[in-house]
Amino acid sequence: MLQIKDLDASIGGTEILRGLSLDVSAGEVHAIMGPNGSGKSTLAQVIAGHSDYEVTSGTVTFKGEDLLELEPEERAREGIFLGFQYPVEIPGVNNAILLREAVNAKRRHQGLDDVDAFEFLKLAREKMAVLGMDPQFLNRGVNEGFSGGEKKRNEILQMAMLEPSLAILDETDSGLDIDALRAVAEGINALRSPDRAIILVTHYQRVLDYVEPDHVHVLSDGRIARSGDKTLALELEDKGYDWVREAASA
Amino acid sequence: MNSTALSFDALERAVAALPDNGLSALRRAALEQLRRDGLPGAREEDWKYTELSSLIEIANNWLDQGAALPAPSMRAAPDAIDATWIRIANGQIDDDSITGLPDGISVKRLSDTVPELAPAGRLGDFNIALLHDGLHISIGQDVTLQRPLGIHVCDEAGDDSVSQVRINIDVAPGSVASFVEYQVSEGEADLYSNSVINLAVADGARADYVRIQNRHKRHNQTSHLTVGLGKDARLRHTSFDLGGRLVRNDLVVDIAQPGAEADFGGLYLVGDGQHIDNHTRVDHRVGPAVSNQEYRGILDGKARGVWNGKAIVHEGADGTDAQQSNHNLLLSRNAEIDAKPELEIYADDVKCSHGTTVGQLDEAALFYLRTRGLSRRDARRMLTRAFAQATIGRTPVEQLHDFLAGAVDSRLRELMHEGDQ
Repeated sequence: MLQIKDLDASIGGTEILRGLSLDVSAGEVHAIMGPNGSGKSTLAQVIAGHSDYEVTSGTVTFKGEDLLELEPEERAREGIFLGFQYPVEIPGVNNAILLREAVNAKRRHQGLDDVDAFEFLKLAREKMAVLGMDPQFLNRGVNEGFSGGEKKRNEILQMAMLEPSLAILDETDSGLDIDALRAVAEGINALRSPDRAIILVTHYQRVLDYVEPDHVHVLSDGRIARSGDKTLALELEDKGYDWVREAASA
Repeated sequence: MNSTALSFDALERAVAALPDNGLSALRRAALEQLRRDGLPGAREEDWKYTELSSLIEIANNWLDQGAALPAPSMRAAPDAIDATWIRIANGQIDDDSITGLPDGISVKRLSDTVPELAPAGRLGDFNIALLHDGLHISIGQDVTLQRPLGIHVCDEAGDDSVSQVRINIDVAPGSVASFVEYQVSEGEADLYSNSVINLAVADGARADYVRIQNRHKRHNQTSHLTVGLGKDARLRHTSFDLGGRLVRNDLVVDIAQPGAEADFGGLYLVGDGQHIDNHTRVDHRVGPAVSNQEYRGILDGKARGVWNGKAIVHEGADGTDAQQSNHNLLLSRNAEIDAKPELEIYADDVKCSHGTTVGQLDEAALFYLRTRGLSRRDARRMLTRAFAQATIGRTPVEQLHDFLAGAVDSRLRELMHEGDQ
């Protein structure tokens, strides 16, 4: 589904990703771990198409298409979803309206009619119940005055409504209490299916107790220093990131 | 002085040709005053950014051609606004619209009364000198109006023309009334409309006033609204400037009695070739009293906007709370705003603040929306609309919100489309 080859990316002239390669197939969950500054968020932003990041070499293909040629909104409509580490507060833009516009943008791209307003609300309320969100959140400004946990649940709600082929969740688990973490994990697990892939970008092993990854990668200095199965995450938790750095430079 | 001077000989002929009625003496006095003072010029601080020469040219053309007031074309007020409409078309009062009004509202022509016309600057003198007729509207004591009273000012410019609107409104003690001023125009010739409205809100009365200006984009407007507030009186006012070419609005709020509350603000949407200037002045003569103003502007293309908010807390007006803010969204590099808050404080125990911002759309929010599948254009529109919503949301006459949302949406679509070119 997603192939990244020898990717170099920089921001403001500073190189962050240096020769990163990653292959993600449908049906898989990949966890990308690594210390602060290793390039985890940069990878997420580059896949989503943030224009501040410059790809200086390498390729990214998504469903066989050159992803780097697409605008952020085209990537979204093709089925890529980025769950933000810091979801943006947008006062005055109604949460329900954004959700519906987002769903419709994708449907139009697929040649489908706009969603029925009644069905849409019904579905949104069902998904919110699963996530433990008060339906009142639909009537508020996007993330406006939401707590950290509420913002993350809102990201998962958007993901659940958009049903992406590839979801990249950038530290969606950070700053969550145990109830919120469980609700968010449940939302992620509900999306797992043989035709979808999920990339969990995380600093901690904790979320992986709830969402079991097929592959775990450790990022260090802008490239993947080590890959393994879920036991790698446990080993990291035990030995710390220095272990990977030392191993990588050895 | 202006580079273009008003042609006084032609003006004098026009004044003399107006119907001889209760206004005649006032017109002549105003003409003399105007001859001494002239019209405001760019060297004056209050007119530094708004040059009236082009309006004086229109006036001179119109005066030279005989200063005819074209026959009023009676256009219907917008159905979407449920109001009792009084209509002034091409500066002439529609008689049908001032008869059979609901209980509690009485309306007289100024020419049938011995009018007292409050000064409203030199444009106020220009207004009186050329005034065909005006209205005096009274809302009776302890009356609560069920529907807003609408003031529909419509002009149709077949040839270059100038029209004057003058209205005095009294809201008697204990009354609750809302007003919608709706100024529109059509026609391909040049037009300059000059309105002066005085609103006196008596002790304990409440007035809501919404001003909507949606003129043709080659037409011009100056408007002057003065509001006097009695003891414990309240004003809530919101304005929307959507159309027009050169538009200058002055709002003057006078607080001469304690306990008064004035909440006012507006939204101006300015595109290519438009110049929209909102000047406000609030005089706190006594305390305690509250004034709070918030204006917002969205400017695209080669737009020019001006906001000048002045709050004067006079000596002894202790207990004054005066807040003002102005936020501007510039959608293009060519748009320009001159924003100036002014506070003059001569009392000790006061709470005053002002804040002005000029900015662009938030790039982080734009990216966020685009990652949800919205095109850059839709994301820009959504964020811009959210910025405007703050003013729509604070508009006092709630039944107007849908109408305003529609009008703002449609103007924003035009504006941002022009900006994309």
